Amino acid sequence: MNIEGKHKFLASQEQIWDLFMDQKNLEKAIPGCEKMEEREPGKYDVLLKIGIAAIKGTYTGKIEVVDPEPPNRYRLLGEGSGSPGFVKGEATIEFSQEGQHTIVSYQGDMQVGGLIAGIGQRMIGGIAKMMAGQFFKKMAKELKSQQ
Amino acid sequence: MKPSAFEYFTASTVAEAIKLLERYEDEAKIIAGGQSLVPMMNFRVAQPEVLIDINGIKELDYIRQEDDEIVIGALTRERDLELSPLVQEKCPILAEAISLIGHASIRTRGTIGGSLVHADPAAEIPLTIYGLDAKMRVVGPSGERTLEPEEFFLSYLTTSLEPLEILVEVRIPVLPQKTGWSFVELTRRRGDFYIVAVASILFMEKGGVCKEARICLGGVGPTSIRAEEAEKILAGQVITDELIEKAGQKAAEAADPESDYHASAEYRRDMTRVFVKRGLAEARNRAKGG
Amino acid sequence: MAERRRITVKVNGVEYGREVDPKRLLVDFLRDDLELIGTHVGCEHGFCGACTVLLNGRSIRSCLMFAVQADGAEIMTVEGLAEDGKLHPLQEAFQEHHALQCGFCTPGMLIVTYELLRGNPDPTEEEVRLAVAGVLCRCTGYKQIIDAVIAAAPKMRGG
Repeated sequence: MNIEGKHKFLASQEQIWDLFMDQKNLEKAIPGCEKMEEREPGKYDVLLKIGIAAIKGTYTGKIEVVDPEPPNRYRLLGEGSGSPGFVKGEATIEFSQEGQHTIVSYQGDMQVGGLIAGIGQRMIGGIAKMMAGQFFKKMAKELKSQQ
Repeated sequence: MKPSAFEYFTASTVAEAIKLLERYEDEAKIIAGGQSLVPMMNFRVAQPEVLIDINGIKELDYIRQEDDEIVIGALTRERDLELSPLVQEKCPILAEAISLIGHASIRTRGTIGGSLVHADPAAEIPLTIYGLDAKMRVVGPSGERTLEPEEFFLSYLTTSLEPLEILVEVRIPVLPQKTGWSFVELTRRRGDFYIVAVASILFMEKGGVCKEARICLGGVGPTSIRAEEAEKILAGQVITDELIEKAGQKAAEAADPESDYHASAEYRRDMTRVFVKRGLAEARNRAKGG
Repeated sequence: MAERRRITVKVNGVEYGREVDPKRLLVDFLRDDLELIGTHVGCEHGFCGACTVLLNGRSIRSCLMFAVQADGAEIMTVEGLAEDGKLHPLQEAFQEHHALQCGFCTPGMLIVTYELLRGNPDPTEEEVRLAVAGVLCRCTGYKQIIDAVIAAAPKMRGG
């Protein structure tokens, strides 16, 4: 499944790059992230507790920052599994300046499997988009609290 | 798979149910008809530690008319609503929409309250309630409140119901005589969750003029969508085939569909156009008395 | 494990009292606790209809109900159709018209068509189709089932 989107931040590209590279911000912004530990530089173990309404699940996973080209782009690899199913994905995150704003755009591919995919197939795309939206909203909040 | 273990309580009044919610908070899930919850529990994508069974709250099972509203208790079974002479006469779009939910065996247990609180983006009842602009009455420890559809439905499977609140009643305005209406849906097989659905209501004036149109889209967003720009095209006009065509195209622009296993976003968007057209033609027919 | 509950259910006219774990599904209770294995477990999420039984006179998916919720209820399963070893007219019609092959959906088919004919003694083919649409059959293509129901209708009317 394709996922893509973009968000605008009122800050310089360098500031946004730093914001996105800081593990503390990611830990706060990733929906349901309870724990995030750096195993090696750029490689993180994560524990996520996410869900919608009654559908709650705990996922353990890995996130990896690959091919960083500061301050323009990097690739993100991720995978996680839990009792309701598994998720695997990769995305390219790009930063570009537009006047006083920085545009963060992402494009990637996501696979969802297991029981959550079987019973939730109709809504997975929309829910993924919604969670990405939540992530960016929280990142914007972190940016604001740091300014 | 089988459900994971849970504590089980029954409530025979709303007050009892709220007390149980207060005690167990977000460990607890209310079970009514169970037609949406139990599948999730059977697959263990939902694993509530506590189930509060409200099927015994008989005081929430009613259909009656109060002045110009049809008032329905949250625990009323879909099958009863479908077969109710009162609903068929005074709120026919709801009876029609409900008759398309799954199959009769599902509708025997499923409740109107359960369907609304579950807020599936491809469910018939939430879409129809949106189109009817019905109100949801909700009760919690600090009292009761009444919510409009836009306030009630937030997103996929998410309503603005607080954790300690219970939906108790739905209040539906009776449509004036000679109001045109239709409920049309696209499914691969009868009874499936729809790919796209459209609920249309045409309030008419003298001379075959449409005073106000409501075009409500389902399956093309996290909640139902009112195609307001499409509605404006019809307001104050005699509804011609040309206007229906324009409204269909405008409504497709209002859709916000995702692609999934069943249909691509492009297909859903185009089917929005097609089904708005079909729905409006059917509603116009009914308005004429056809 | 949660506390077991004592429930009483009447199934096919016989009263049973049993203790169950709240998470016990009604279909598993019928099959494993009462050894009425006519009702089948298919999809376990309400789509296939193989688990359909009558509860207080109306058809339901027994995989979507917990046994504790059926306390005090009257249930009819497919075993309740035949009387003293004599097949019900519906069952006879199914047999004559080859309305089953593997037989997995058959209990569900019999229950929903029994419910149909009880409320609508002279259904149209369209009405029969609507009733059986809720039960998935992969073997017959539905035609023989519909023929069987149409053939059984007059027999059930006493004709």
